[in-house]
Amino acid sequence: MVRDFSLFTSAAMQRTKNGDPHAAVACAHAGPPIFFSPYNTRDGRGTWVITRANDQRKLLQDTATFSSHRSIFASALGENWPMIPLELDPPAHGVFRSLLNPLLSPKRVMALEPAVRERAIALIDMISASSTSCDVMKDFAFPFAVSIFLRFLGLSDERLDTFVGWAKDLLHGDGIKRTAAARTIVAFIDDLAAMRRKEPADDFMTFVVQAKVDGRPLRDEEIRGIGVLLFVAGLDTVATAIGFDLAYLARNPRDQELLRSEPDRIVLAAEELLRAYSTVQMIRVATKDIDFEGAPIRKGDYISCPTMIANRDPAEFECPNTIDLAREDNRHTAFAYGPHRCLGSHLARREIVIALEEWLSRIPDFRIKKGTAPITYGGHVFGIENLILDWS
Amino acid sequence: MRIIVHNAKCQGHARCWAQAPDIFDLNDEGYILPGDIDVEEKDELLASRGARSCPERALEIDRTSDALLDRLLFNQHCGG
Repeated sequence: MVRDFSLFTSAAMQRTKNGDPHAAVACAHAGPPIFFSPYNTRDGRGTWVITRANDQRKLLQDTATFSSHRSIFASALGENWPMIPLELDPPAHGVFRSLLNPLLSPKRVMALEPAVRERAIALIDMISASSTSCDVMKDFAFPFAVSIFLRFLGLSDERLDTFVGWAKDLLHGDGIKRTAAARTIVAFIDDLAAMRRKEPADDFMTFVVQAKVDGRPLRDEEIRGIGVLLFVAGLDTVATAIGFDLAYLARNPRDQELLRSEPDRIVLAAEELLRAYSTVQMIRVATKDIDFEGAPIRKGDYISCPTMIANRDPAEFECPNTIDLAREDNRHTAFAYGPHRCLGSHLARREIVIALEEWLSRIPDFRIKKGTAPITYGGHVFGIENLILDWS
Repeated sequence: MRIIVHNAKCQGHARCWAQAPDIFDLNDEGYILPGDIDVEEKDELLASRGARSCPERALEIDRTSDALLDRLLFNQHCGG
């Protein structure tokens, strides 16, 4: 039941030129549906790994047995407070979720759409006016996704590079960098909350410091927990998804041409790309001893539900390793299942669709620039960089 | 066709609404409103796409009434 597997340290998870970390982890389906992986966290702690979509669904919906409270961020600082709402379990989770849901609901996201599209167009026009090639992550995906996200939080674009740097250190850096980044982010959020308390603005942090749950204002630690989660969650996930998607289209000219000539297909195609290139693993902690589908899980054990593995489950998806942009019945788990379903999923989806629509309508037939090789890696959020596209 | 809404299972993915905004109604938080949905024949394809895209399996397609009707018509046709 023990397998040599880690989303952090396995061979295909290291920085690899022209790598395909998603295909590498999909191989898990050749083995047992649940196994123990001794090093499957950043700190080298082991987790059970749940490979099947149906088992992940059951597990992530059972919040009483599988707690989401791990204090993952605070523990890097030797502290113990939850990122909210992710690390709170129901019923406490529900009141915060209800507070935040309307800010990122599907209908609310519709209102944000014009600004999102305008930002995408401005960036792409700037790129195509100056060159016939670019580094997609640096020149488009990060500035686009992060600026939309900063705008949502009410922060200015000026510090975009700084914020992205913090996120990189936090999610992909070594232990020392990670702790330093965590400290910096906490200090930033605490300062921002204090500032907005004194001088309210029309932004997210002002909303949080003025909000009430159960008829009382939020405590400092709760404000910090919400601020830190929202700040970290949007910093590199959407950019990464756009990167993997454009890399796929660069390598598959027929699909690229299909979406360019029939842009109505992009919405459905984006779902398939979310399935094929999911980037996050959910981790839960067992609250009691339980035999789960034959696995003897003990109280305190970590259990990992890697979205990228569930989304290649042959029991759930026909030909899971084939990317079929017209695939229907695509109940993928890129945004997880259960009460903790990604709060920002509706905004993330729109950003991805808009990025693809505007990129394809403005940039002609593109490919990976000759002599370059995109670098991929695994980890807490899978990543891609050095993605140089060429349309000369 | 009818869509049986298992309201408690809804976690706000809103995949149903994305497929068929006129058939599936969401509250301000983005979760589906309670109550089963009667679907007109012209909307069946869209509605079933919406139901089949729910990651939580919160929407169940109920064709029992259709099946009964089919059987009845078949039996009449065969003189049963």
